[in-house]
Amino acid sequence: MRDTILLTGSTGVIGRALVPLLAERRDVEHVYALVRGGGEVANLEKVKAVPGDIAAGERLGLSDQQFEEISENVTVIIHAAADTRFSASLSQLQAANVDGTQNVLDFARRCRSLRGIVCLSTVHVAGQRTDAIEEDIVEHSAGFVNCYEQSKYESELVLREGMGDLPISIVRLSTVLGDSTTGAVAKLAAIHQGLRLYYHSLAPMIPGFPSSPVDLIASDYAAAAIAHLAVSNFSAGSVLHLCGGRDTLALDDLLEITHKAFVRYRPSWRKRSIASPTIVDLSTFELFARSVDEVGDNLLRQSVNVIRHFAPQLAYPKTYDDDGCRNALGNMGIDKPRVADFYPKVVRWLIESGWADQKLTTPVTGVAR
Amino acid sequence: MGSSSQPPVGVTAIECVLGAETVSVEELETRGLLETPATRLQEFGFHCVRLSSEPAHELGLRAARKLLGVASVDPESVDAIFYVGATPISHAVVTSDPRSAFNYPVAYLQYELELTGAVTTGVSQLGCAGLMTAVSMARNFLIANESASRVLCVSSDVFPAGSRREMIYNVISDGACALLVEKGAGKNRILDYRQVTKGYYWDLTTKKNEIAAAYFPTARAIMQDTLRDCGIDWSSVGLILPHNVSLRSWEILLGLIGAPAEKLFGANIARFGHVIAADNFINLRDAEDTGRVQPGDKLLLFTFGFGANWACMLLEH
Repeated sequence: MRDTILLTGSTGVIGRALVPLLAERRDVEHVYALVRGGGEVANLEKVKAVPGDIAAGERLGLSDQQFEEISENVTVIIHAAADTRFSASLSQLQAANVDGTQNVLDFARRCRSLRGIVCLSTVHVAGQRTDAIEEDIVEHSAGFVNCYEQSKYESELVLREGMGDLPISIVRLSTVLGDSTTGAVAKLAAIHQGLRLYYHSLAPMIPGFPSSPVDLIASDYAAAAIAHLAVSNFSAGSVLHLCGGRDTLALDDLLEITHKAFVRYRPSWRKRSIASPTIVDLSTFELFARSVDEVGDNLLRQSVNVIRHFAPQLAYPKTYDDDGCRNALGNMGIDKPRVADFYPKVVRWLIESGWADQKLTTPVTGVAR
Repeated sequence: MGSSSQPPVGVTAIECVLGAETVSVEELETRGLLETPATRLQEFGFHCVRLSSEPAHELGLRAARKLLGVASVDPESVDAIFYVGATPISHAVVTSDPRSAFNYPVAYLQYELELTGAVTTGVSQLGCAGLMTAVSMARNFLIANESASRVLCVSSDVFPAGSRREMIYNVISDGACALLVEKGAGKNRILDYRQVTKGYYWDLTTKKNEIAAAYFPTARAIMQDTLRDCGIDWSSVGLILPHNVSLRSWEILLGLIGAPAEKLFGANIARFGHVIAADNFINLRDAEDTGRVQPGDKLLLFTFGFGANWACMLLEH
């Protein structure tokens, strides 16, 4: 039997990459791409864009006809929609990430042919925990670096509850950087903005430790892995880490590679003699950020806020176990690109795309989904 | 770092003259001379500044005269004068006659102080790093000239009356500092001096934010490089003699470099704020006078000057 898929978040970074991958699969019959607010999806034969909104109740804002059609036919739901703004309030984020997830589960209960729900989450639900993070839902009281992390953590609690009667698999992504081959970035996220601040000499310090692991994955790999985990190797009740795992860069190495990439792909940048951000303890960073808040110009304040919304995660170093995910992907030809290989390509793409010239007022988003 | 075969050179005497008028930051605010609220600047460690109605060259002359008197220096024994000013107006005694742009204060001091054997040099375009650079130049001069024994370095800056007193969240005093750099010095021997210039930040008016951000990582780097050059770490540094920018920024910088707050001689920041290029050496004098330094102590001086200059000097008291 071929699957009919409902994809939420189809206009996000992962969703946009997933649509053509799903459409080209022989084991996929049809893809309903839920689209909020007039967004567009790829015009492909198997793909049908349906207006809707996960925050609009258990019918997901679908028309009566579409609700009936989709709930009748869908076999797999890939829930990729999320509010990834690091700077948003908790209540704003909960509306999409917690209530929206609950709505998706309630919708799933109305689906008569459903065999699986893959919900995308983030490894950062671990918040301020440190050390090794398991592929499991673990309640913790360590706290969070930003409200996005907290909202996704709360979303997972909803999912855990839903696992009692629904076939749910959680796939936690680490930071999605860009395409492993071309370096292309579909949507600028916090890390890309942080790099831009460094490029412009507006990132004096980063909280963390020189050895703090920075876990990054390529967008094409992430999309291919999700498609596989949703369609051909679904496992109800699983929690998987789609991340670098053992293949991470230490923070000081990442800064050094970045510096070299800036010089290599924009040789004139060298003459600026811009120093790499200093890696500092969290209290020193917070004192600096508070001082900028108190007296700094708007530009510097915005710059520090970009860093402040995500970089403190580096002050809580951790590694993510990804054995379950790697086993699930098995020998499917979905090879994980090495971060040391694709990271410079992304920096190159950013430089060549004119990313450095964009204004700093773009909202800070997280995992670029 | 100085070669062991070179004669030791150090700073043997320091005197200063600050502006005569003491003004609180609240009063500066009342006079409209601040950009940031006074209460905020107080939180950052500033309380008073000193304003001068005397021009810079007169303040410099008084500081130098005081130094020569206190140190009992024979004027004819001075081999050179290096005169430091951060702004162009500090380097000319200007009248309505355009030719007065060539009325250099260093020559004025040479004449008034009867330093007849001294050659003169102006040190400019280094902002608050000027005096430290002049001291380094003095050392080089003394090492290069076998017969030379002492150099007088004078720094003096006075803002025009009614000028704003705040530069990137720091409060500025008028003042002059004179010091003697001598060959065979028995104290404050110069162990190392480093200067980093990053011309990208030359334009203060358009790069204010970038300068504020760049300040910290480069400051950390130059201090660490200086210590590494000398084969020591922070545990061997007896005292940090700062430029008197805000205590807040020093708290942040101490966090970056991993040095304890007790090593910072920061008392003068509240007393008179930032005296342009003179801070580090006024602080050295006051640290000596208050018994904060002992013979053999390693003293680290750090400053940043517009024109994008980071400068660091290590002395052995």
